[in-house]
Amino acid sequence: MTRPNIRMHSWNSSFSIHNSPFSVSMAVRLYLSNDTSARAAGAGLLADAWSDRPEAQLIRTSSRGAFFLEPMVERDSPDGRLAWFNVTPEDLPSILSGTGGTPVRSIPFLAQQTRFTFANFGETEPLALDEYQARGGLQGLEKALQMEPDAIIEELKISRVRGRGGAAFPVWNKWQVAQQTEADEKYVVANADEGDAGTYCDRMILEGDPFRLLEGMLICARAIGASRGYVYCRQEYPAAAVTLRAAIHEADEAEWLELDGEFFPIEVVEGAGSYVCGEETALLESLEGKRGVVRARPPYPAQSGLFGRPTIVSNVLTFATIPQILSRGGAWHAALGTEQSRGTMALQLGGRVKQPGLVEVPFGLSLRQVLDQFGGGMAPGARFKAVQVGGPLGSLFPASQLDIPICYEAFAEAGAVLGHGGIVVYDHQTDMADLARHFMAFTAHESCGKCTPCRIGSVRGVEILERIQAGSGTVDDLLLLEDLGETMKVASLCALGGRAPYPVLTAIEHFPAEFRNRLGQ
Amino acid sequence: MSIPMHEQVKGILQQVQSEPPNILQALLVLQEKLGHVPLEAVPEIAHTLGTTTAQVAGVLSYYPDLRVTAPGRHLIRICMGESCFANGCGRLLRALQDCLRIDVGETAAGGKFTLDAMSCAGNCAVAPTMIIDRDLYGRVLPQQIEVLLERYK
Ligand SMILES: Cc1cc2nc3c(=O)[nH]c(=O)nc-3n(C[C@H](O)[C@H](O)[C@H](O)COP(=O)(O)O)c2cc1C
Ligand code: SF4
Ligand code: FES
Repeated sequence: MTRPNIRMHSWNSSFSIHNSPFSVSMAVRLYLSNDTSARAAGAGLLADAWSDRPEAQLIRTSSRGAFFLEPMVERDSPDGRLAWFNVTPEDLPSILSGTGGTPVRSIPFLAQQTRFTFANFGETEPLALDEYQARGGLQGLEKALQMEPDAIIEELKISRVRGRGGAAFPVWNKWQVAQQTEADEKYVVANADEGDAGTYCDRMILEGDPFRLLEGMLICARAIGASRGYVYCRQEYPAAAVTLRAAIHEADEAEWLELDGEFFPIEVVEGAGSYVCGEETALLESLEGKRGVVRARPPYPAQSGLFGRPTIVSNVLTFATIPQILSRGGAWHAALGTEQSRGTMALQLGGRVKQPGLVEVPFGLSLRQVLDQFGGGMAPGARFKAVQVGGPLGSLFPASQLDIPICYEAFAEAGAVLGHGGIVVYDHQTDMADLARHFMAFTAHESCGKCTPCRIGSVRGVEILERIQAGSGTVDDLLLLEDLGETMKVASLCALGGRAPYPVLTAIEHFPAEFRNRLGQ
Repeated sequence: MSIPMHEQVKGILQQVQSEPPNILQALLVLQEKLGHVPLEAVPEIAHTLGTTTAQVAGVLSYYPDLRVTAPGRHLIRICMGESCFANGCGRLLRALQDCLRIDVGETAAGGKFTLDAMSCAGNCAVAPTMIIDRDLYGRVLPQQIEVLLERYK
């Protein structure tokens, strides 16, 4: 155990944007990520330790998302980038002398991915607009500016892209409704609430490639005729908000934050720790400064959203996917993936896998393939017990069900959800009754209180699961829990209450002994 | 002499006036400046924003991040999200509780630390996660807690 384990970063301090143009020319350019998780893994420590080393010129990039290798340091070579993994400050001499590096293109975790939305990650500095453009950035927007709004929406229809925030609704359809609704003003809102525990791809985009999000929002604004944009960013992502505001400033300076010669303002608004505020109507309430309570639909936000105006609320990853659909064409996008799930998905591996990190692949790989090929199996000393896909409202899968393809249609058929692409693996030490209680308690805590099945049902659910945990539950309690779950599924107003029973009931379904053996008489 | 609370509140809110008033953003600004949103300031807030006390109180009680009492000098937040759960945040929380002798939501004697739980900092691949003030720590082990807390005075 020699690895220094305590790593931290401060949001206040090391915010290097561009490196100085006057750096010593003999210095070796070293690429080090400035992503929050890379910093938590030790990148900040390296930057501090090497800050007074003139022989090293640090360039703070986004992260490749191979977080098990972070902190990772790279340098240029005739063979492309070379990388050093899990670097400590003492490794500097060997990096400078070029010994022991691995070509990035031969890292299996990365080489086996199909990176489009995340192609820039690890390569560019988040706020370097010239690098963004040199790698194809803004081509989608340029295309869109030459197209009629109808043609943009038609291109999205051809692409068959669906929303990546959870509900997987066809993007073109929503845009068309907003476009066809008459109003004095329309809005574009990026949902950067990323509430699902176990997901972090939106955070990576906000911190690592913010121009891609802005470009996607502008294309949307052009298509529906919006005059103003907002990004609702969760309070837990301070570095993301800082980077995004800086990106908006840069885009404005470079004069591409405009439509038809008019400035298109985009404002970053921070939330206040409520999970349900990620739900689109609650988000709009919160954006208006009110309690983030779910609105009954219809009307849908595309018809009547922020301040009663037509509003497109879409996920950060969805917006970031749009520019390439325009620049490469809808047909290009439609050629990737499965029948009902076109394109690529950003999967986010976490929990007890050996190799947690971001995986962008076309839809259709099996869950097992993803866990083996990318996850690399289990963390040392851990044995697989279950995997949860789709965040805190997602179902649990036991070892026997890992052949399910990762796409909307297969998950829908299994009564599960892909959600925002979070994949969390639990090991043999996980107590399923404790986990089930944890899920129910989450819902009870986060319920917005608008409807009874969720508000009361989740509290009852917690009581029952606590009884079972304490050893005083009965067989009737298990039946009651199932009943309660069915009621919540069908009678809740939004997916928080409607999906909350799934992780609990799948835990009981796949690990019944852990509940039954605990029952009292 | 210190400025009376209602004057302070008024002064801060005058900088964030918007039409229509945005109660949540106003409360967040107040909390940033004052450390918390005192309940006794609610009538003044409502008055300055041109809304009702019921509206302000409703928003104040709704959001987990809005506090009506002053926290300790340092705010510790431990992530209870699924990836951190799988990676032993429960053991981490117990170590913190033992070390500080307080429960979640409480402030330690002397007012140094307040302990809070949160759900996901987006650091799931470097779990478990703990945040102290604005410093984020990943891959935290229970045995590191004491050394870590010593950094905060
Ligand atoms: C309880 C709840 C929480 C949600 N949280 C988020 C979130 O954090 N981020 C997100 O993009 N969508 C979230 N959604 C989904 C949104 O309501 C909405 O479907 C989505 O933002 C639409 O964007 P998309 O079409 O790009 O997927 C949530 C839904 C529910 C019911
Ligand atoms: S299901 Fe829960 S969160 Fe959703 S509207 Fe009903 S009470 Fe609110
Ligand atoms: S689950 Fe803890 S940081 Fe995401």
